[in-house]
Amino acid sequence: MPAKKLSQSALALWVRKLIETRRVVAPQAKAEHFAYAPLSQAEDLRLDHDVTILPPRKYLMPPSEVLLRFTRKDGYTSVIEHEPMILFGVHPYDVAAIAQADRYFLHDRPDIHYQTRRRSITIVASDVQNASEDVFAACLGTATVHDGFDVLLTRVGDAYVIESRTPAGDALLALAQDLQEADPVSLGRREQVWEDAQKLLRRQVLKCNPQELPALLDAAREHPVWEKRSQTCFSCGSCVTVCPSCFCFDVEDELDPDLQSGTRRRQWDACLLSGFAVVAGGHNFRKRREERYRHRFYRKAKYLPERFGFMGCVGCGRCVKACTAGIANPVEVYNTLLEGAS
Amino acid sequence: MKKLRMAIFDFACCEGCQLQIVNMEEGLLDLLDIVEPVEWREAISDQSEEYDLAFVEGSITREEDEQRLKDIRQRARILVALGACAVNGGVNRLKNAPDMDEVRRCVYGNSATMPHLATAPTKAVGEVVKVDFEVRGCPMSRREFTYIVRCLAAATTPVVPTYPVCVECKLRETVCRYEFNEVCLGVVTRAGCNAPCPAGGQWCYGCRGLVDDPNVNGAKDIMDKYGKTVADLRSRMELFNSVEARQCQGQ
Ligand code: SF4
Ligand code: SF4
Ligand code: SF4
Ligand code: SF4
Ligand code: SF4
Repeated sequence: MPAKKLSQSALALWVRKLIETRRVVAPQAKAEHFAYAPLSQAEDLRLDHDVTILPPRKYLMPPSEVLLRFTRKDGYTSVIEHEPMILFGVHPYDVAAIAQADRYFLHDRPDIHYQTRRRSITIVASDVQNASEDVFAACLGTATVHDGFDVLLTRVGDAYVIESRTPAGDALLALAQDLQEADPVSLGRREQVWEDAQKLLRRQVLKCNPQELPALLDAAREHPVWEKRSQTCFSCGSCVTVCPSCFCFDVEDELDPDLQSGTRRRQWDACLLSGFAVVAGGHNFRKRREERYRHRFYRKAKYLPERFGFMGCVGCGRCVKACTAGIANPVEVYNTLLEGAS
Repeated sequence: MKKLRMAIFDFACCEGCQLQIVNMEEGLLDLLDIVEPVEWREAISDQSEEYDLAFVEGSITREEDEQRLKDIRQRARILVALGACAVNGGVNRLKNAPDMDEVRRCVYGNSATMPHLATAPTKAVGEVVKVDFEVRGCPMSRREFTYIVRCLAAATTPVVPTYPVCVECKLRETVCRYEFNEVCLGVVTRAGCNAPCPAGGQWCYGCRGLVDDPNVNGAKDIMDKYGKTVADLRSRMELFNSVEARQCQGQ
């Protein structure tokens, strides 16, 4: 469907309509920050948010989800939890991270839990209006996106250009009133927004092409940066918990009070936590803080690019703020390695 | 399935952890399906010679208590420390100043020399006998308590968090107390409480004790970053982690 134009008031009416028909989850104010939460009124929607505390992955793969119920007598039954939902106002870098999750969980042997939930989610992406202070998406090519969503909203002055890319997106747009054809001026302004995003979403500058990172890391295993920076690491996993590109999980069983039945859950895990690499028998193959700290950068900028062709980082900058010790910033780490390499 | 014979004992404490058990309401009935209380001063009048599962609440502060605890240990197949007082001495440990006579005079005034008030430096249960499992927190977490009992009844090993409270803060999307210019002990404190304090606008005071490998040195270093001093950090640790606080030197 060709791009349309929607006034601010028509957008609010459309959002109201969407809330009436479906569960809408969108960025809203939380203390001085923003968080995705179910939207109960259009007025709470904050398309001007800079970044949310947790990425929308909390809806694609909840922090704790039931995989199955079991009983001692009768074996198990899979539990597929899902609820039709519109993820509204998703920034391009988070759209890119969802595409990565799709790659991990839908290809080869699809994960039925992820797949079912993913199919019931419609994504309304939104170009960034205010850049967060730590963002570097433009350095990684995720400041704007051109696929991976159902609808894209771009603010152009007082109005929005809105474009659907899928039948699910068309169905949402059908609920909007006062949709106009997007005029060439508005479309030109949208191009300008995309161009500006390349500058705005570059609050930190990675001093190399991301394609060079695997080779850079390859030579840096013994670099002093790991030991030095990890001295103040609390192994708190915050850098990973807030990351849209991290998908590690742990599986745990819990018995019901009668001890005859129980629940198996999948929970978010984090490679920075001290127990992450403990295996049966109690051996921990990443026992030292430094090894865990280093692993995160290797996974993101070497192992994943080598295996899948993309970095496990979309440059949202969340980890920078989330790390109490102030050591999680990937740009600082890669740039430090570059200094030594040149 | 045979029910586990359970006993609960209290030492120096406020008995707040036992109260958590009594207050479980329907949860208590579920619990009684898998355990049979054979000794529990707060709830029943029976006494028993041996137990599958002994819960010990409170810290050890008198010599005769050490003996009583050793006796309990001998009769118990599994011994579980209940709450901060038992796990690491909790608030009771605050009194472990170099001069115990001064502590006695301060608390008991003229009666300080009475023999039954002969208080000794506070010990955690694990400093006197072997502890098999711990239920942390002040008061202890009910959810964790029932979980551990269920695991023990089913002969599986309970998995309790070894990571810091920050994990649970992030999952709840609580804005970090450091952003409000406060010192929060969550970075070195063991999770499992679901971080209610920061979520309610209060820094974590470490009631669940420290993680296994707390980066206290890291905590010292970041005090500078937030314009705080090691004294700020130490004063917060005093309440529940006074031993570690005293090891934390410097300004
Ligand atoms: S590593 Fe940091 S900047 Fe990169 S995607 Fe994860 S949270 Fe965002
Ligand atoms: S790098 Fe920072 S956020 Fe990550 S585990 Fe260490 S202290 Fe926590
Ligand atoms: S841990 Fe806290 S609640 Fe439990 S007995 Fe001690 S002081 Fe009371
Ligand atoms: S408020 Fe405390 S526990 Fe929560 S993230 Fe910050 S330091 Fe960690
Ligand atoms: S947040 Fe800290 S003080 Fe509060 S319950 Fe948890 S461990 Fe205790």
